Amino acid sequence: MTPDLIYGATGIAVFAIGLIGALCAQDRLRRVLALKLCSVGAGFILVVGAWRIPPADPDPVPHALVITGIVVMVSATAVALALIRRLHTLEAEDDD
Amino acid sequence: MTIDPITLAVFVPLFGAIAAFVFPRAAVWLGLGAVLATCATVLGLAREVLAAGEVVTPLGGWAPPLGISLRADGLSVAMLGMSAIVGLLVSFGALDALRDLRQRQYFWPLWLLLLTGMNGVYLSTDIFNLYVMIEVIALAAVGLTVLSGTKDAVRAGLEYMYASILGALLFLMGVGFVYLQLGRLDFAGLIAAEPSGALSAALALMVIGLLLKTALFPLHFWLPAAHANATAPASALLSGLVVKAALYIFLRLTTYMPLPDEILVTLIGALGAGAVLWGGVQALRAERLKLLVAWSTVTQIGLIFLAFARAGQVGLTESWKAAALLILAHGVAKSAMFLAAGRIKDEVGHDRIADLDKSDIRPTLAQFTFALAAISLIGLPPSLGFIGKWSLMEGAMAAGYWHWVAVTMIGTLMSVAYFSRVFAGFLRFDRMRGELAEHKGWALADIAPLTLAVAAISLGLMAAPILSFIELGYPFGELP
Amino acid sequence: MNDPFLLFDLLLASAVIALAVATLSVRDLFASIVLFVIFGLLSALAWVRLSAPDVALAEAAIGTGVTGALLLKTLHHMRFVTGRLGQDAAESVTPAQPVPAPVIWANAALCGLITLGLAMAFFAAPQAGPGFEALVTDAMPESGVTHPVTAVLLNFRSYDTLMEVVVLLAAVIAVWQIERGLSEAPAPALGEIWHGFARLTLPAIVVVGTYLLWKGSEAPGGAFQSGAVLAAVGLLLLLSRNYVPRPAHRGLARWAFVLGTGVFAAIALLVAGGGREVFEYPAEHAYSLILLIEGLVTISIAVTLAALFHGREPVALAIEEKRHDT
Repeated sequence: MTPDLIYGATGIAVFAIGLIGALCAQDRLRRVLALKLCSVGAGFILVVGAWRIPPADPDPVPHALVITGIVVMVSATAVALALIRRLHTLEAEDDD
Repeated sequence: MTIDPITLAVFVPLFGAIAAFVFPRAAVWLGLGAVLATCATVLGLAREVLAAGEVVTPLGGWAPPLGISLRADGLSVAMLGMSAIVGLLVSFGALDALRDLRQRQYFWPLWLLLLTGMNGVYLSTDIFNLYVMIEVIALAAVGLTVLSGTKDAVRAGLEYMYASILGALLFLMGVGFVYLQLGRLDFAGLIAAEPSGALSAALALMVIGLLLKTALFPLHFWLPAAHANATAPASALLSGLVVKAALYIFLRLTTYMPLPDEILVTLIGALGAGAVLWGGVQALRAERLKLLVAWSTVTQIGLIFLAFARAGQVGLTESWKAAALLILAHGVAKSAMFLAAGRIKDEVGHDRIADLDKSDIRPTLAQFTFALAAISLIGLPPSLGFIGKWSLMEGAMAAGYWHWVAVTMIGTLMSVAYFSRVFAGFLRFDRMRGELAEHKGWALADIAPLTLAVAAISLGLMAAPILSFIELGYPFGELP
Repeated sequence: MNDPFLLFDLLLASAVIALAVATLSVRDLFASIVLFVIFGLLSALAWVRLSAPDVALAEAAIGTGVTGALLLKTLHHMRFVTGRLGQDAAESVTPAQPVPAPVIWANAALCGLITLGLAMAFFAAPQAGPGFEALVTDAMPESGVTHPVTAVLLNFRSYDTLMEVVVLLAAVIAVWQIERGLSEAPAPALGEIWHGFARLTLPAIVVVGTYLLWKGSEAPGGAFQSGAVLAAVGLLLLLSRNYVPRPAHRGLARWAFVLGTGVFAAIALLVAGGGREVFEYPAEHAYSLILLIEGLVTISIAVTLAALFHGREPVALAIEEKRHDT
């Protein structure tokens, strides 16, 4: 057992948990959390893919890709959350 | 400083978006100017591709696999051309359709960012870059979906956002697995790769993500509400152009990494058949005009996948052309139809199909436009839709896949049936001649959708040159 | 079992998975978000262990820090709106619609299938397979910087990075568009003690952020991490009411959002010509150009992230609401 296998399996597990949450969660906010878990899972896979047995240096390209992925994900999350806030306000006003 | 049109095709709409956002008062003119300039660069690129067959630019001077290069061939330029022309006409349509100042200010930057993302997809040769591009498209498209600000639109936009993020993340996971397997992410690497089970799993992940984004049955759940509740120009862009980007990536990927088994091709065809039938039933039941048009998009997406699977695995080298023709035909006709539906809704004041004839206002030209677009979507000659459907069935018949022919025929009959519901409303207008004389029946705003609808019909006459153009640069041959 | 780190790895991995499950299964949404933040920080720790400090920094700062702040702000907003209407605000805040059982089973089957495929593909992949290391090592001398990740982000794959900033721009435009001048929950305010804390820490955070940016060319750090740290300054300013967005600031904010993207794209085009491609920085200026781009992109990222946290466009509310009604 090496770290890449352990964390690779972790990444797949986290992705799967996120996937289940994204498809099955009822709560809007929780679905956003689930999608964020999926993105961390994908990040694990790329980081694991970049890892090399020390003392060899890891491959920097996947690291750059994950950083890009993180920024893209925070943008998407912000938009989804803005939609949730807005929808919530609209629904609350309708209930009045 | 000399810059190739291939780079400008991405940068011009980007600068346009920035300018339109920073100067909201001038957004309309800056936006229109940027779309026009994009058309010009696409034209320049088309000339280069006609001369050379393909155009490749390694960005930053770093050749793949380390760097990213842009590549244009016949198919990519055809997609760019469709986006530019449809985009230009929808932009003109938006001048009239968006009356709210705020909507107008935000429409332009979002739409130009959308164009940036789509052009980036059509020129990209790197799967991670494709991931970033589809996210640019997703955020801009969601912004356009909720432009009207109604509760239904925001709810539909949120569903769309979830589907988009999930689709993109499945795609990203697939990218990660391709990296694990090959250590590179460019198309040339995919072509050179030895087929393996792990690579197929990576491809499958990416394909599921793309099917979610392009809304193939049964992953279409988000589409009808999103497309039906957006404002008319946004609907036209979403239905006509946005779903095509994921479809295009699907076409590219499945040819670079061929589906490993005949069963998978049949499965894709079966999902397409499901979309054609289910979408048809829903369109027959739809109560509102825009919802009917949105469900028709679901069936047309299914049809495109049928075209892809029409002749099984051996036919894939030719089938993409039928799929590409249908993509172009649908892009032009559906944007015309959504704009026309928006015009009808604006004029009549509602879009309930059952009550369409109970108005004393008759938007004649918009109705005519709607009918023309329907001709192409049903697939009557000489429209481009007819050519696409014909090549679908021709290939299926040649391969002896009669079940696909049968599904296409049933789908065509259903489309005749559901569009007839609308036509019946149009034709019965005469019962209600009120102060019809005061109403002109046309407006300047009808010009853009009418032009698109006429193009959808008349492009069918140019099918031969279009077909030979999309084959330029051997889109699905070897990369240098 | 002779690797001393093995036990650590196993513990950390199980903690990450357990936190992921807990994040989605606890009833209280606030607890859920807190668990998510811990999950994110532990994931970042795992990435440090996998020798990816840049990624860990970005995940901790942006993926966990900023995302957590956004989530908490949304939860606060929803509870405020619901609470104002006198409904029960303690539990799940969005109405649950019952999902039909066949859909749930289909979803579960899909998840299972995908996970199975993933696991098979992962364990079939070559161990420590091929990568870009050799290519990157060869190209490093021409990149203008000495830190490989920065070289990839701002030179070899700078097109991706430009588009990533474009995604951020698209997000802020979409958010401003979505949250127009409807009634808003007041942003959560800081207490007295935090007020003092904010005043004391602001300068320190600015220094840390700038240092991260500066070090990015030779050591882990860079525009995105430093942008997130500086965005924290913005968050504190907003929360402590030391800065209140006003309609008059909109023009400046727009310029700040597009600054990084615009200059990045303009430089990419301007360096072209004379046999050079777009994005191909002349070797003698590569370092200064990259530093310039990083600096401006950092400002844009920081302002954009703070704006995403603040949410709606600062418009004059009364006028907006009036127009909305008509």
